[in-house]
Amino acid sequence: MQKINKNVVLALLSLTSLVFLLFQLYYYKFYLSQKNGAVFSKVRGSQSGQDSTRWHVVRKFLGLISSHNIPVYLIDPLILGLVDKDIEQIRSSPDGPSPECKYFCAPRDFTTFALLDKTWKHEVGLFRTAEKMGFQWLKIINKDPRLDGMDDLSGVEIPLHYIFKLASHAIHLVVFYERSGNYLWHGPLRLKQHMDRKFVPFRKLHFGRYPGAYEKPELLLVSIDDLKVQIPKNPSSFLEEMLHSRFLECRYREARAFFQLYPDDASLDAVEFRKKAKSLLHLAALTLNNLGVKFWLSSGTCLGWYRQCNVIPHSKDVDLGVFIKDYKADIIPAFQKAGLPLKHKFGKVEDSLELSFQGEDDVKLDIFFFYEEDDHIWNGGTQAKSGKKFKYLFPKFTLCWTEFVELKVHVPCETRQYVEANYGPDWKVPVKTWDWKSSPSNVQYNGVWPVNEWDDVIQIY
Amino acid sequence: MDEWKPNPAIKPHKKRSWYLAWKYKLMNQRALRKLCQTGAVLFLLVTVIVNIKLILDTRRAAYEEEEESAQDYDDEMLNVEVPRHPVSNKKVLDVEVYSSRSKVYVAVDGTTVLEDEAREQGRGIHVIVLNQATGHVMAKRVFDTYSPHEDEAMVLFLNMVARGRILIFTIKDEGSFHLKDTAKNVLKSLGSQVAPFLSWRDMWTFVGKKGGEVYGEKHAKSPALSTWGDPVLLKTEVHLTSVEDAECRWPDTELNRRRKRFCSKVEGYGSVCSCKDPTPIEFNPDPLKDNKVFDVPVAVIAGNRPNYLYRMLRSLLSAQGVNPQMITVFIDGYYEEPMDVVELFGLSGIQHTPISIKNARVSQHYKASLTATFNLFPDAKFAVVLEEDLDISVDFFSFLSQSIHLLEEDESLYCVSAWNDQGYEHTAEDPSLLYRVETMPGLGWVLRKGLYKDELEPKWPTPEKLWDWDMWMRMPEQRKGRECIIPDISRSYHFGIVGLNMNGYFHEAYFKKHKFNTVPNVQLKNVESLRKDAYEAEIHRLLGEAEVLDHSKNPCEDSFVPDTEGRVYVMFIRMEQEADFTTWTQLAKCLHIWDLDVRGNHKGLWRLFRKKNHFLVVGVPASPYSSKKPSSVTPIYIEPPAKEEGAVAVPAVAAAEQT
Repeated sequence: MQKINKNVVLALLSLTSLVFLLFQLYYYKFYLSQKNGAVFSKVRGSQSGQDSTRWHVVRKFLGLISSHNIPVYLIDPLILGLVDKDIEQIRSSPDGPSPECKYFCAPRDFTTFALLDKTWKHEVGLFRTAEKMGFQWLKIINKDPRLDGMDDLSGVEIPLHYIFKLASHAIHLVVFYERSGNYLWHGPLRLKQHMDRKFVPFRKLHFGRYPGAYEKPELLLVSIDDLKVQIPKNPSSFLEEMLHSRFLECRYREARAFFQLYPDDASLDAVEFRKKAKSLLHLAALTLNNLGVKFWLSSGTCLGWYRQCNVIPHSKDVDLGVFIKDYKADIIPAFQKAGLPLKHKFGKVEDSLELSFQGEDDVKLDIFFFYEEDDHIWNGGTQAKSGKKFKYLFPKFTLCWTEFVELKVHVPCETRQYVEANYGPDWKVPVKTWDWKSSPSNVQYNGVWPVNEWDDVIQIY
Repeated sequence: MDEWKPNPAIKPHKKRSWYLAWKYKLMNQRALRKLCQTGAVLFLLVTVIVNIKLILDTRRAAYEEEEESAQDYDDEMLNVEVPRHPVSNKKVLDVEVYSSRSKVYVAVDGTTVLEDEAREQGRGIHVIVLNQATGHVMAKRVFDTYSPHEDEAMVLFLNMVARGRILIFTIKDEGSFHLKDTAKNVLKSLGSQVAPFLSWRDMWTFVGKKGGEVYGEKHAKSPALSTWGDPVLLKTEVHLTSVEDAECRWPDTELNRRRKRFCSKVEGYGSVCSCKDPTPIEFNPDPLKDNKVFDVPVAVIAGNRPNYLYRMLRSLLSAQGVNPQMITVFIDGYYEEPMDVVELFGLSGIQHTPISIKNARVSQHYKASLTATFNLFPDAKFAVVLEEDLDISVDFFSFLSQSIHLLEEDESLYCVSAWNDQGYEHTAEDPSLLYRVETMPGLGWVLRKGLYKDELEPKWPTPEKLWDWDMWMRMPEQRKGRECIIPDISRSYHFGIVGLNMNGYFHEAYFKKHKFNTVPNVQLKNVESLRKDAYEAEIHRLLGEAEVLDHSKNPCEDSFVPDTEGRVYVMFIRMEQEADFTTWTQLAKCLHIWDLDVRGNHKGLWRLFRKKNHFLVVGVPASPYSSKKPSSVTPIYIEPPAKEEGAVAVPAVAAAEQT
């Protein structure tokens, strides 16, 4: 009897393991299909069906939002990229029927649209209609950054992103807010604990990893793939802007802590200086932006932003950084035209260039030009009376947008390293006496200008 | 497999070769079998291993994917566990109510919902309203029925409470002195047996359902006039009803959902929560043609006066040309009920942690609210500033729309305000008339962003300075000689009776008789003549046509102004220098207009109406318009009344400086 049992048991076990194996395979397949619908459907060979699904979902979504009078515009980088190739044709025949589904059928997981907050009242009716149409939706809300800088205000959280899912395709609706400084801002996408992490593959979203800052776009109503949709008038410049749109919020909480330790200077002089520095910065930004010269807050102005979200009242000047590759000979005449005469010019384009302009009442605008090396970036300084050269080294950095005194400006994304390179680890402690030749912790002696070049590299007006 | 078994019946030694062959075969098969078995076991092992690996792989993949997909997107404050209130299915509430001379308290299920043992306050009848389904406190009021008229307020309140709510009453100190029969009858109708006989210094507690059963009542009579009744403690049980029974059956719309949320939380708002025919919470007033203030943000500054806020928002949302999207209510403190009111109307509200105390707290709240307003609406050039105790005229936005361009274009203007300090029932007449005044009236006004951002915000009084923000704004350092535009008939009405600088007497004397425009779509006249230079020309024209009144008569008498209509009259008062307001103050006093400080003046000139005639007052010789005085006329001088003994030194000094 034992032997029979043994065999039966063996057979049974084999059978079970086989069933188990099959189950595992099924599970794996099921899991795959859930995670990545496109891949799975490719396996099934229903590519064309998928294509038209995307188009249908977009069409349904556009119908939904137009029935609620919500003006959205397309910001999907993939589709805009395709559109950009044919932009002339699309512009010239805005109503032409398209022979094939060229854009909205392109393989992708999402279609991204933008919504201007103030053009919509956030009516709940939209979501009810969406549900009736078969959409599943997710709303991502968070703190209102426009109130973040304020002491102890608690506003309602504002919607930053919406995701509408239908079948295997999803619409990502990014909410843009207008902020002080005449620009548009969108928030980061952060999931709260109770949220469904698998609602869509969030990693593949084009917007939301970081907050972003954009200019207000000019829009164009076009008809592509038989769908009428608004797109940025110049898709390629929008796509370019998107690549460098990362936004840093000022560190308001740290700034408040700073002011608790070192109360703000509220004297009339400080108020006046801040006002002047602000208008000088606004003027400088306008001038440089008109020339298309990219610049960022540097030195003391950058420290002021990073440490206290404001101009440091005892800093006495405004400092900007510009990459030497962005240098334009028009800079000096443009500033002069704007009412800011050149005060001094040190160095030359090839080496240690630095410009100073005279703002009103002794407030000076310094523009430092930065030179990129393989492993670091530096700018130069020159002592007028001795012709001595100095070099200030910084670790490599990229540029991010931020808001400062009601202006959208660049700062180094790696601000802390930048500030620390310049001011050392004790940057949090205000220092009133500062010697630009010796105080910075990143200064290096860099020789002396040859005397015969002095007339060129040391110009004082 | 049976045949493979050795058969005991077979004799092995007989058919030996067959047996051997068979045995060999058997052995062979055994080997085969062993082989099969081993193979099966091996196969089993392999599948098990493969399976385990598969499971692990998929698990890990799933886990990683999950980690990955969410990693960058996780909220930093993930670990804040949302507190979950256990859904209590309890059907009975234990209620404890205590009444005594110096202390009252109410506890519901062991939670104290009212406790007042502060001295010198909280006298009268305390009323608490509980939701009959949840037991939540919906309203808490105290009516000082020792004082007159408070019982009327209590009756009003009790009538507004919906049927079925649970009412808890308790007396602190004294609650019967001015408790009239009407009020006693209302209490009786609620089921109280003691109320009709409540008398001086009795202690009393009562718990009952409006329009239903009584859960308990206790009473302690005061034995003598000079003593209080013994403290009473009432302990009783209240049976809760189901949520469905406690709610009205309104049609399921977005508006009604808001209404439902509101009405299940708070009480005392009357018909907004009545089941039959509730009052609307959306108003859809006519839009304004060419509305220049449609995109101007409106900041409503509020504290913890939710009933005021309710009334204010109703009038604001009913004003023609209102844009609800631009309205933000700023609440000073984390009060729930004002926020409930804001949500009822579908507006956005922001709460502000109180900073500092008294005036400084208000002033800090203003600063935060204004800064936030310009942050939230970065495009805005202006902001409308309102307070929670104002009624807003139906043509408020029309008035602003017609005048706001002046604020943009005329540098000599400080604000446009809807309030005329001197616009009382008997001194204001023309809804289409505007003035320029040197004082900042507030109470519904427009602020220019540039003024705020460049001048006011950077030097706004810091929290340790106990200044009124409006007084500060009126100081010459801030105002810098600029003026405000105001209407003759105010476009706002100040109804607040309780407030930081407000009480019933003060309100009655200075605010109650204020004129308030109720005419829609008033077309303002000569708006352009309000510009700096044009206004001077206008004043000279007016003075040119004005008839000089008889200066021998008493200006306080009604007969001072002839019984005419639509004429322009002028009088001259003595005003030695710019800051000499002695006669003006006395004149203002006898005319029953604002006399607490100087308001509504423009270069020593005041404009108002008397008996439907335009009435101009010129201070001579300080005013530049003094030249209009005929040489025969002697400016009127009114002696201030003699100072009372022991009068406060400061006003005396101030008066001395003025003369």
